[in-house]
Amino acid sequence: MNNKKRRILRFYYRSKKRWSKSYAIFILIILTVGLSGWSLFADTDAIETGPYKFIYPANFGNRISVPDDNPTTKQGVYLGRTLFYEKKLSATNTISCASCHKQERAFTDDKAFSKGIDNVPTSRNAMSLTNLLWTRKFFWDGRSASLEEQAVFPLTNLHEMGQSLDNSAQKLRNTPQYPALFKLVYGDDAITGDRIIKAIAQFERTLISCNSRYDQYLKNTYQPTERELKGMALFMTGPDPEKGIRGANCVHCHGGTKNYMEFFHNNGLDSIPADAGIESITGLSSDRGRFKAPTLRNIALTAPYMHDGRFETLEQVVDHYSEHIKQSPSLSTFLIGESNERGGTSLKLRPEEKKELIAFLNMLTDSTFITDKRFSDPNKLTTNCKLTTK
Amino acid sequence: MKRITVIIICFLGVAPLLSKAQYIVKQASVKISGVVVTPLEIKLDDLNQFKQTQVVRKDRDGNDHTYSGVLLADLLLKAGVTMGKDLRGENLTKYVLVEASDGYQVVFALAELDKGFTDRTIILADMIDGKPLAPSDGPFRIIVQDEKKPARCIKQVTGIKILFAK
Repeated sequence: MNNKKRRILRFYYRSKKRWSKSYAIFILIILTVGLSGWSLFADTDAIETGPYKFIYPANFGNRISVPDDNPTTKQGVYLGRTLFYEKKLSATNTISCASCHKQERAFTDDKAFSKGIDNVPTSRNAMSLTNLLWTRKFFWDGRSASLEEQAVFPLTNLHEMGQSLDNSAQKLRNTPQYPALFKLVYGDDAITGDRIIKAIAQFERTLISCNSRYDQYLKNTYQPTERELKGMALFMTGPDPEKGIRGANCVHCHGGTKNYMEFFHNNGLDSIPADAGIESITGLSSDRGRFKAPTLRNIALTAPYMHDGRFETLEQVVDHYSEHIKQSPSLSTFLIGESNERGGTSLKLRPEEKKELIAFLNMLTDSTFITDKRFSDPNKLTTNCKLTTK
Repeated sequence: MKRITVIIICFLGVAPLLSKAQYIVKQASVKISGVVVTPLEIKLDDLNQFKQTQVVRKDRDGNDHTYSGVLLADLLLKAGVTMGKDLRGENLTKYVLVEASDGYQVVFALAELDKGFTDRTIILADMIDGKPLAPSDGPFRIIVQDEKKPARCIKQVTGIKILFAK
């Protein structure tokens, strides 16, 4: 082969290589756009359907709440999850449920008070959404008896998402994907406020956290450290200085496998509470400053703490119970004189005991819950997943 | 005449405030509901209509105290719950769910409250040693005679529900 021929051939192969590279990039772009478009326009054939089976440890118990008129289905949960991350449900199209309930923070945000569409802070701290399947009274004051009832408040409150359910339904009707999704879930493509709420509630019931190190310890698959064990003992034991028994008695309100017992207490934050708590519902002075004792699941992730987010760290929370219980006529009975010291009015824990207690509280973090893809933004997930699948 | 009109207008203006004030100093009550003929809302004064009963039992302080109040069975009878000769057959699968203002709940089988089944007295108490219950315990507390643990002597009772076990 002479030189000229060789040069021509080299040129031919090089340009072919360049072309094939460009082709590959072009095809990738088409695929990417196509796939994300596919997820956006929800090919409903790809969505799993049928009854949704809740999976949880037997020791969580079966006292669950699913309303008869809103059975949980796989397609309903999918729709609910999509709506949970849907910003069109806010008047300004800027906020979704997930804006204040972020998965990576066990469905809370890092603010004492969250800001809604008009930047006016909420009156109470955004609550963690965990193990709601077993919850019967929602909000810090327990005013809602179901997730369906609860969801209406943040959606329509003028300082939160600020949009009537009818407007939300109208907006969703004008999208390419939602009518088909509603049809898949409810049998016809009518989009109503009631159906929006029901789907969101279905999704929220699936937010089950049952794989913390504490769960693993209960299943005998995790051996706690010395410090965690000491913290657990303090957590589970009521103090009795007469008998020399030291304890923190957290179990009184945060006991059980789910670290939640649905009690409402005045935990001595203030002698004159700025927020009346459930007194504003019942009108009874004995309910003054009484709020839900929330779940301690993932508590290390859900700062700041208390109904008004006044404590930024777990150390501050433990210090409160240890040193700063404020006396008042509505202080809950079990906190009156609850102390490791004779005649004490607060727990009076030693510095080392506080560290032990916090070591145990950290055992309640469920890292699989906060990374579980079933709970994340379905639009983001589909795109990410498709492109990063190995 | 004008003055009377002014007075009437003033009264009309103040009336809503009065009702609001009443709301704020609302009285505690116990609601009896569920499988009943007549749902009841029992307030402190209402307890006087019923026969008073006393139960002596130890409290957490280790001392005996005399609690007085009304037999739970009498309140349920008033609400039309199947007690006495009607407490048979499927009615024996009924239970009583008692709830406190802090969300605490305990259960009694309906038959546990019936004199035909047991002499053990269970009352809705409003007094301890002749005095009203402390605000942190009352104004209503269930007292179960002779029960070893005080866990079902539920304090600050707000509701009593009669239900069928399913």
